Amino acid sequence: MSRVRRPLTPWAFLAPYAAAVVLLVVLPAVLNVGYAFTDHTGLTRDPRFVGLANVRRLLADGFLLDSLRASLFHLALAVPVRLLAAVGLGLLLAAPRPGGRWFRTAVYLPTVIPDVALAVLFLWVLNPLYGPLNQLLRLVGHPGYTWLADPTTARLGVVLMLAFPIGEGFIVVLAARRMLDGRLYEAAALEGCGPFGQLRRITLPLLAPVLVLLAVRDTILTLQVNFVPAYVLTDGRPANATLYLPVYVFDQIFEFSGFAYGSTITILLTVVTAAVITGLLIMLRRWRVLR
Amino acid sequence: MRRRWIGRFVVPAFFAAVFAAPLWFMVVGSLRPAGLPPPRGVELLPTQPTLAAYARLPELMPLFTYLANSALVVAVAVPLTVLVASLTGFGLRLLTPTARRRTVLGLLALLLVPVTAVWATRFELFRLAGVVDTYVPLLAPALLAVSPFLVLLYAWSFGGVPDTQLQAARLEGAGWLTIWRRLALPQVRPATLAVAVLAFTFHWSNFIDPLLYLTSGDRYTYPLGLRFLLLLNPTDWPLLMAGCVVATAPCVVVFLLAQRILLDDNPLAALRSGGHG
Repeated sequence: MSRVRRPLTPWAFLAPYAAAVVLLVVLPAVLNVGYAFTDHTGLTRDPRFVGLANVRRLLADGFLLDSLRASLFHLALAVPVRLLAAVGLGLLLAAPRPGGRWFRTAVYLPTVIPDVALAVLFLWVLNPLYGPLNQLLRLVGHPGYTWLADPTTARLGVVLMLAFPIGEGFIVVLAARRMLDGRLYEAAALEGCGPFGQLRRITLPLLAPVLVLLAVRDTILTLQVNFVPAYVLTDGRPANATLYLPVYVFDQIFEFSGFAYGSTITILLTVVTAAVITGLLIMLRRWRVLR
Repeated sequence: MRRRWIGRFVVPAFFAAVFAAPLWFMVVGSLRPAGLPPPRGVELLPTQPTLAAYARLPELMPLFTYLANSALVVAVAVPLTVLVASLTGFGLRLLTPTARRRTVLGLLALLLVPVTAVWATRFELFRLAGVVDTYVPLLAPALLAVSPFLVLLYAWSFGGVPDTQLQAARLEGAGWLTIWRRLALPQVRPATLAVAVLAFTFHWSNFIDPLLYLTSGDRYTYPLGLRFLLLLNPTDWPLLMAGCVVATAPCVVVFLLAQRILLDDNPLAALRSGGHG
């Protein structure tokens, strides 16, 4: 063993993670594209090349159109609601105050509820007869809704459920807010800038990069990872109103043996996500948030 | 003065109550007797509280088998997650600033690849490897440190370890694993706790992977068991809420350990404070 050691090399530490990424993310993603051109069912071992047959099936698939519509509706409503909640509550609760940590803990708690439990809980909360939500509505004289039995309110119910687990974004906002320089606020206060002026002129512009990252992350989470709650809560019903793309992909791959077709939809899902994010970034650049 | 008080306490308390409400309704729902008619108004407190639903849980499903399976998975997956996240985070710490910035951007891009995009082919790979219906595929997220978020959390915390210390240890002839284990890790204990807690809540709640990979009923983890309970007793609300409480309670308890760090007035300082506190 040589006495003189070389400086620490970072690459040895990064290697296990890099290997896992290649094996569990990159390789499957590449294979996915390959399978999209076959007739693989997931049951037999010998997929055949079928060219663009899956793409043609995609274009003629009415369920897929329902699915796309459900996903986009959900996206348009859920992302702004979740983002507003995470940012609003993060900024509201960032300042130190007696018991401040317990307010933050209460806001974070729904995030630690396991997905399945959250879905089962919301089956109860949204229950037309027994559910607490309709009872609250009755307090203010509203007869209440049948929630999961009606297409529109079913979609709203899913959005409402997913407005609660916002902990990750909440923590990021809390941390980012702490990094802003307190002297900026003192200077603004001396200039006669009120709390809302400070929010608009200091906090939001300085937090813009973080907010963009959160918006992009949340778009993906909402488009693609809302599988579990939707699968347990409604499983696509009623009338395909909540047949979000991940639920449909799951049905195709694991229930209808349409492995190759499922791969094709997965690619479509990725393209839709990329398109939404690109649109988001272009919009933000136009608003000059990113300068 | 009163307006200031409203802004500082009343408004935050209102939102805290709104976010705590689902958990409250879960517990209250689990304490109702079975077969009671719908309540007239909002039931903020259980009228005739009973633990009967909890007693019926093990009668209707192999509750303790499921819980033991979940505990087994968590016992392996959480240390694995902490190991991968801390190694990778320390690797990031050692990169030059330019390389670090590029790698972090790469990580953020990875944050954007959802599990859904690789469901089918990852399943195919695990099937070819012959490990479907074992707990091996359930460890896949752990090898990816669950989420790049946890890697970045570690990378930030290791940023507090001064370069001079690393170089001094190196000059004294310490190997790189020794430096990581004996010098760096002890300085970021709060980060380790936070990562372990977040990893616990993820693996304990993981539903997708067991759903895809576990087929034998006696290997089910608890979240699968809860869905099984829902399919068998779709309207037995006290029973289902009791099942939810059992699923949620470990996560809440474990999270309360970490809130001291993650939700501190200054979370970034709290993460790094291990060496001195």
